[in-house]
Amino acid sequence: MISYEFDYTRPDTVEAALDLLDDDSKILAGGHSLIPALKLRLSAPGKLIDIARIPSLKGIKMDGNELVIGAAATHSDILESDLIKQHLPMFAEGAALIGDPMIRHKGTLGGSLAHADPSADWPAMVLAAEGTVVVQSKTGTRSISSDDFFTGFYSTALESGEIITEIRFPIPAEGTKMTYQKFVQPASRFAIVGCAALRHPDGTARVAFTGVADAPFRDTAVENAVGDWSEEALEAAVALTAQGMEFNVDHYASETYRHHLARVYCRKALKALLY
Amino acid sequence: METTQLSRNTNTSKIDCIRTVTFTINGQSTQLQLPPWVSLLDALRHHLHLTGTKKGCDHGQCGACTVMCDGKRILSCLTLAVSKDQSSITTIEGIADNGELHPLQKAFIEYDAFQCGYCTPGQICSAVGMMQEGKAQNRAEVQELMSGNLCRCGANSQIIDAIMEVYIPETHE
Amino acid sequence: METINQKQQGKALSRLEGALKVTGAAQYAGEYSAPDLLYGHVVNSTIPKGKIQKIYTEEILKLPGIIEIFTHENRPSLAWFNFQYSDMDAPPGSPFRPLHDAEIKYYGQPVALVVAESFEEARFAASVLKIDYEKEAFTTNFTNQLDDARAPKRGFATLLKPLPPKPKGDFDKAFDESPVQVSADDYYHGTEHHNPMEMHATTTMFEGEGKLTIYDKTQGTVNSQLYVANVFGLSFKDVRVIAPYVGGAFGSGLQPQYQLFMSVMAALELKRSVRVTLTRAQMYTFGHRPPTLQQIKVAAEMDGKITALHHKATAETSRFEDYTEVVVNWGNILYPVENTKLDYELVPVDVYSPLDMRAPGGSTGLHPLECALDELAYELKMDPLDLRLKNYAEQDDSENRPFSSKELKECYLQGAEKFGWYNRSPQPRSMRRGNRLVGYGMATGIWESMTLPAKAEATLTKEGKFRVRSAVTDIGTGTLTVMTQIAADALGVGLDEVEFEYGDSKMPFAPIQGGSYTVSTVGSAVVAACQALRKRLLKIAQKANGSLFETASESKVSLTNGHLSLSEKPDVAVSFQELLTVSGKRMIKASKTNIPNPLTLKKYTRAAHSAAFVEVEVDEELGVINVTRALTAVAAGTIVNPKTARSQIVGGMVWGISKALREETITDHRLGRYMNPNLAEYHIPVHADIHDLDVIFVEEKDDIVNPLGSKGLGEIGIVALPPAIANAVFHATGKRIHQLPIHFDMLL
Repeated sequence: MISYEFDYTRPDTVEAALDLLDDDSKILAGGHSLIPALKLRLSAPGKLIDIARIPSLKGIKMDGNELVIGAAATHSDILESDLIKQHLPMFAEGAALIGDPMIRHKGTLGGSLAHADPSADWPAMVLAAEGTVVVQSKTGTRSISSDDFFTGFYSTALESGEIITEIRFPIPAEGTKMTYQKFVQPASRFAIVGCAALRHPDGTARVAFTGVADAPFRDTAVENAVGDWSEEALEAAVALTAQGMEFNVDHYASETYRHHLARVYCRKALKALLY
Repeated sequence: METTQLSRNTNTSKIDCIRTVTFTINGQSTQLQLPPWVSLLDALRHHLHLTGTKKGCDHGQCGACTVMCDGKRILSCLTLAVSKDQSSITTIEGIADNGELHPLQKAFIEYDAFQCGYCTPGQICSAVGMMQEGKAQNRAEVQELMSGNLCRCGANSQIIDAIMEVYIPETHE
Repeated sequence: METINQKQQGKALSRLEGALKVTGAAQYAGEYSAPDLLYGHVVNSTIPKGKIQKIYTEEILKLPGIIEIFTHENRPSLAWFNFQYSDMDAPPGSPFRPLHDAEIKYYGQPVALVVAESFEEARFAASVLKIDYEKEAFTTNFTNQLDDARAPKRGFATLLKPLPPKPKGDFDKAFDESPVQVSADDYYHGTEHHNPMEMHATTTMFEGEGKLTIYDKTQGTVNSQLYVANVFGLSFKDVRVIAPYVGGAFGSGLQPQYQLFMSVMAALELKRSVRVTLTRAQMYTFGHRPPTLQQIKVAAEMDGKITALHHKATAETSRFEDYTEVVVNWGNILYPVENTKLDYELVPVDVYSPLDMRAPGGSTGLHPLECALDELAYELKMDPLDLRLKNYAEQDDSENRPFSSKELKECYLQGAEKFGWYNRSPQPRSMRRGNRLVGYGMATGIWESMTLPAKAEATLTKEGKFRVRSAVTDIGTGTLTVMTQIAADALGVGLDEVEFEYGDSKMPFAPIQGGSYTVSTVGSAVVAACQALRKRLLKIAQKANGSLFETASESKVSLTNGHLSLSEKPDVAVSFQELLTVSGKRMIKASKTNIPNPLTLKKYTRAAHSAAFVEVEVDEELGVINVTRALTAVAAGTIVNPKTARSQIVGGMVWGISKALREETITDHRLGRYMNPNLAEYHIPVHADIHDLDVIFVEEKDDIVNPLGSKGLGEIGIVALPPAIANAVFHATGKRIHQLPIHFDMLL
């Protein structure tokens, strides 16, 4: 149970949810980040607005040259989706590494992005796949590039009164390769280090990390160094991994070890894109 | 923060918060009057006295509270009961068929897949879900897909043995 | 003609309570309900040391549903003397008294109990109860206080946990003069918590007229009963403690924990039934396996004969009790050494008292010992197993007395054979599988086989069935099943003719369930009670039909098909119903206390032994260690039930893997509190971490240890695993890691 009292509503539309949303309320989707936070009193909103069943937030679809994942799509929806397997296979690969099957059945992409846990898996993949976070408020909708979305420790560009409705991805060109590689914390199964990497057919790359620092980040130094993807170039890129970052430090991984892991996982990811 | 909390909650009339939740539990339509902050786990254990579903951490870290909800295994401790209005829930009490144990239940007994028995309901519900998902192709994948369910007695190998016996009998010695 | 009942012992029976556990029907302590049940939630201190200045209960009491808040200021007056708070497992010192006064002795100390009509109300109110504290200076890091190290106090608990023997020979001289020496002073083990899957809970049913029925999570119903009666000044007969199913304990239930106190206090004061269930975080606010620092020095002649052994352990304890465990005594029981120096010291700091946790002491002390032997073998260029065989103890050198039985050599040989030990190439870093290094390691295990006094009762019921009773619990060890097998054999009847009832303080006395002594202790009492019942039945038969049974003795009669008959002449029989009629009673009972003969037992060292063999794979790039297979060969006397016995050993092996590679409670010494009191940050192995585990039980006959010849299995499965894993990691990587658990980054 949760150790304080709050109100709960389950509106049928995003608009109805926005009408209810105020400074004392929180959006509930899968609840797998929010409910533990409520139980620990890290957060204590007076009202929960459950959007998990709003139909318009659920699907995964093509829209022109974009792939659109609804904010309330669960990790297992993404894992199962044929569209994802076809166009963003890294997302299926990554979804299979999140928590355990019970968590995957309830946790959502939108919830994970809004919560912005520094060790969560999705942020790295969304950054690497050039995702755009679409948010809606009473005044309309706006699109936030993933490059601008993650602003710090558990913080995002999401403003009060806004709900994430979907995440849009450019459909990768034929021949694009992508992977998500993760060193898992053995008990919580969060990422001690996660590296998402994408290689365009022209050889340019997007490489993003989670777990390494207080917020997920794109590593442009690595991206710029992959060059012709020769072994030397990749080693040079790996050597630049997370340069100048302030590393997360906890009992399971010191700064040195985490930096080491980031390099190892950067190498694993880049090498997975070679063939 | 604590004092503001306190004042707001004392001013809230609790009656306003009570919701009617209707769900099917183990095939039986069930209605409960509950405030929104009651987890599905506590609704089962305290309000319906279905104590077969266990609380091992209350934070989604141990799997002891696993139940089947609309055909999927979920953690009842991280689920608000009110959010499962109109859902169909199967708990360990509903796994056997009219007194005839489910093959997994029989295999758990035969393989000694538990000692204290406290994680067992969650392990079995999770294994039912894992089998329905049908993803695991071999023992290692079964182990991986069952790893959200902790066992402190160390019956891990026997649990996987029991599941393998039912799930992929031909590959199991 | 039907033969005498088949022997039930030795059969691989499935657990008799299995169907209840797999259907969710088995009820645990916090799952019993009453119509007027109240819920208590405990509030814990948020400072490690100091005084409570003020508890703001007034505003909280106004919240809906709140019945009462108990604190040190309004608790009922309780027993005065320390001994009244002592239980069967209390260490020497002053037992912790919940809500005793304003003093805070450790972080997380229970300081208030909020009681409400609903669980939700209690927990909410507990979460907003404001408390002012006066903080005092504290220290929780015993390694910073080594100057305070001192010998432990002696007391009741140290009777079962002997302190180290006196030095022998001249260690320093022998060590210095020996050609090969191994020495290390950096063996460190972190704090561990039991973390049974079921959190501690007590439901106290207020029965009126001063009577209480208490469903408690405990390893000793009588121990909890004794504690409650003493502390609350109740008559023993008014306190009934029931522990029907116990969701694991591993030592956490050896002593009454504070949820019992809280639940009973509230029930007595409010005259209502009260349930108190702890949270997972609160499971870190009472006993733990203490952190330890150990030194070891071993020296040998060139031929491998060990000449000198020094083993010293320094362990954490609380400020109020001297918790001890047997850490350093094992070396000279396992290996004959003429010059020994064994020391054990404690350092008190501001924490709760440590508490026995599965294989207390043994799982701590065997790690340095068996790793030092491995190092010695490498120094000597000898196979580590050959070194153990070279120093094989035919008798217990530390006490200069024989073993009651010891088939350790068979464990070594059969284990090595099945594991393929001699297939390894001895050179470290010489074995690989793909990009992973592979290592083999082995170690020896030992655990003392104790027998304590216990009583049991056997009854022929009016239905003509047998019922055997003991207050003992079944914490998942298989006690119900095994005792039923023992009782069936002792009575000479089939399994379905006998029912074992347990887990209730109203039943005949059994000590707390721990230390691997339950089969030995309770099993011996069950045998004695069953034999007493057979005698009584024969006596009644003689009364009923004197001439026919006149010359018969207890061992010459059978209890089959509802009749007592002569084994030799089955047609000379009298029905159970007739025996009941003649006795003039509704049932025929016999009870017996088994008290082991201390004089006989003193002549022998009684211990179970094991040899563990482990294969690890190490990913050098990541430092990740995987135990790919492990085998434990065990010599533990008669195995009553090979199925549940195997599970005990395998479970112990998982604990050994966990201790070596996973679990540790981490303290923030600046705040004096544990940092990872949850299952996401306190690592225990998951299914994907556990691979091929194998068990061999070698044959071992023991007529001395107890009438069953059985030595107990709860701890012997763990003790050898951590050193075997550390030795395998060395073989794989060439690195000696002396700290447990071994962290990923230590190998980089």
